[in-house]
Amino acid sequence: MPRVSINQTAPDFSLPDFSGQAFSLADLRGQKNVLLVFNRTFQ
Amino acid sequence: MAQLRQDYDKFVSRNVAVVVVGPEDARGFAVYWQKESLPFIGLPDPQASVLKLYGQEVNLFKLGRMPAQVLIDKAGVARFVHYGHSMSDIPSNQEILALADEINK
Repeated sequence: MPRVSINQTAPDFSLPDFSGQAFSLADLRGQKNVLLVFNRTFQ
Repeated sequence: MAQLRQDYDKFVSRNVAVVVVGPEDARGFAVYWQKESLPFIGLPDPQASVLKLYGQEVNLFKLGRMPAQVLIDKAGVARFVHYGHSMSDIPSNQEILALADEINK
């Protein structure tokens, strides 16, 4: 499985958020830093 | 998640958007977000598309997905990558906030 390395461009992706609104990582470029959290489960 | 919620204002003040990707569906996210009053962006990823793209570890013999965090700067470059090896293997907020300070310099 590929992994992201430090100082490499993070792969872009688009997904709808849970309210159905489109989210694209590229939209935040030049605007905000992003902390991407991969959560296992809410339990 | 509670750990991140606690310092959310500090992330905001450092211009960090917190984006949570998880295996639950939209309804699962909505229920949890409301219950916990979470301010983060929540992205349901039941197909594990982003998971695969970023290579989050899946351990079928333990408890499924392992936690992972990636801090991406404004230019789109990964500046911090942490792949957890257990459920509790999560970096401290302080560590991530200190890095955000560095990135913002």
